[in-house]
Amino acid sequence: MKSKTLSILLAFTAMPVLSQQNVEPNSSPELSSEKVIIENSIDEKTTAQQAVTDEKIAKVPTALQWMQRLSYSIRNLNFDSSFVVVKNNRAEPYRWLHGIDEGNDLELMTLLNGPRKESVRVNDNVSYFNSNLHPYTVKADAISGPIPVAFSGDIEKLQQSYDFVSVGKSRILGRPAQLIRLESRDKQRFGYWLWLDVQSGLLLKAALIDRNGDLLEQIQFTHLTITEKSSETLNQLLVAELPSTLIVSQQVPELHWQVSWLPSGFELVNTKRNRLAGINQQVESLMFNDGLVDISVYVSQTSEANRPMTVNQAGATVLLSQLRDGYEINVVGQIPADTAKAIADSVSFN
Amino acid sequence: MNENKLQAVSSLLDQQQVDEDLLKQVIDDEKLNESWSRYHLIGDIMRGETADFIDTELSQNIASAIAAEPTLLAPKAKQSVSQKVKAKVVQLGKPLGQFAIAASAAGLMILGVQQANNPDDMTAVPAQVWQPLPMGGVADPVSYNYSRQDTALPSQQKRAQIERQQKLQAILADHQMQTKLNSKATVTDDSEQVELIDAQQPNQN
Repeated sequence: MKSKTLSILLAFTAMPVLSQQNVEPNSSPELSSEKVIIENSIDEKTTAQQAVTDEKIAKVPTALQWMQRLSYSIRNLNFDSSFVVVKNNRAEPYRWLHGIDEGNDLELMTLLNGPRKESVRVNDNVSYFNSNLHPYTVKADAISGPIPVAFSGDIEKLQQSYDFVSVGKSRILGRPAQLIRLESRDKQRFGYWLWLDVQSGLLLKAALIDRNGDLLEQIQFTHLTITEKSSETLNQLLVAELPSTLIVSQQVPELHWQVSWLPSGFELVNTKRNRLAGINQQVESLMFNDGLVDISVYVSQTSEANRPMTVNQAGATVLLSQLRDGYEINVVGQIPADTAKAIADSVSFN
Repeated sequence: MNENKLQAVSSLLDQQQVDEDLLKQVIDDEKLNESWSRYHLIGDIMRGETADFIDTELSQNIASAIAAEPTLLAPKAKQSVSQKVKAKVVQLGKPLGQFAIAASAAGLMILGVQQANNPDDMTAVPAQVWQPLPMGGVADPVSYNYSRQDTALPSQQKRAQIERQQKLQAILADHQMQTKLNSKATVTDDSEQVELIDAQQPNQN
């Protein structure tokens, strides 16, 4: 709870700073929008204190402050938005609403084309409705969808693996926007470019960029309305009957293999042995997260004859499959194929 | 008579007065038209006013070419190298796009696949250069494989390929499911919050 209130405070203090900058753009000519400011892990507390004490001095907000404001805005503003995810020559339109009604945190994200795919959040219960699956509820404080959960979460954690770079301003969705780049420190993961609304701090556009600067995936907002009160659509969620909560086994199975190498910053979040839905094959898996990206490593026994490694890619998501000593090793996640290969190569058996 | 008309053409060329009837005949007569342009050409050549390349049939050719051509509303752009590459991607992507409908009905993601030709090569290629490329065919749903690759592959190999594909899709689906189960935005304070919500739980369900 402590860090949450602190970041809220931060975002509050960041906002007057922003408005000052808009009013007096000439007061600090050396801090022009074109200037690249590289943010190095500044202590949160000192930043907050500085923002309070230096309030009278017009100051350009740092990239870290922009990111913290994004996180705060997603969690606290009442908004109704639409966006399109572009990848693999396909465009998927979504609608995304968030609101707070009488202290209840409400969120709705729905895919507008094709079969029904809807996610609903009431406080810390996220329900997923898929046309081909039984609806289920999980305990989580954010909807897992095209918008990375990390953007509404603990921004500090991202700094372990990414440099935040404040680049220039531009116009997105008819609004002035600030471009913030999240650069992978070790080049082992993709970079994010985020265009944030100067007025509200919300996301207007996001792009996933590989090492060569090529665009892998893109999220472009097509509509954004910020309201004072939560919308009626969202408020209805409070009385809606949500599917039952999925009980996740807390048992951690003992695996006879391990992943010896991962890019720095990735932490183990889940260990699991289960049967794959649909094909009923037993697999063991480890899941890792660096604050922004999820990587899963699957190991299963196979009778397949030796075959070359395969790499599947959809947008930024890579699925690598490698055979070794009667085992199939699969690495999945939004990471470069090189990184996936290095992870697969590092799997060792006891 | 013909002589007369030729004379008229010649006179016209020399910008002499010709009577109107004769002028009309010259205009209507194809042969005299030809003579008219030939005379001009001769004059041009003698004065050294011609271009390097002369095609006396040019106007005729253009006229017949236009007549033979279907109506084009937009000019066809010349293909540059990058466009060629793009076109290739579109071609490969198209079947994927179509079958993506079937795949999304199953809630899965369609993937492009690259298979390394030689397993030994893999180790030799430096990691930086090595890049996966989306390719059609392998990642398609079962029904598609049957219709298209029936003759191309022996059935055992085909089945193995389909099974492998199904497994990859299942792994991808499992990964996405796990992502949902483990999505925690604020990692630091979430245990407190969960307890808080648990107490309120009965009201929401």
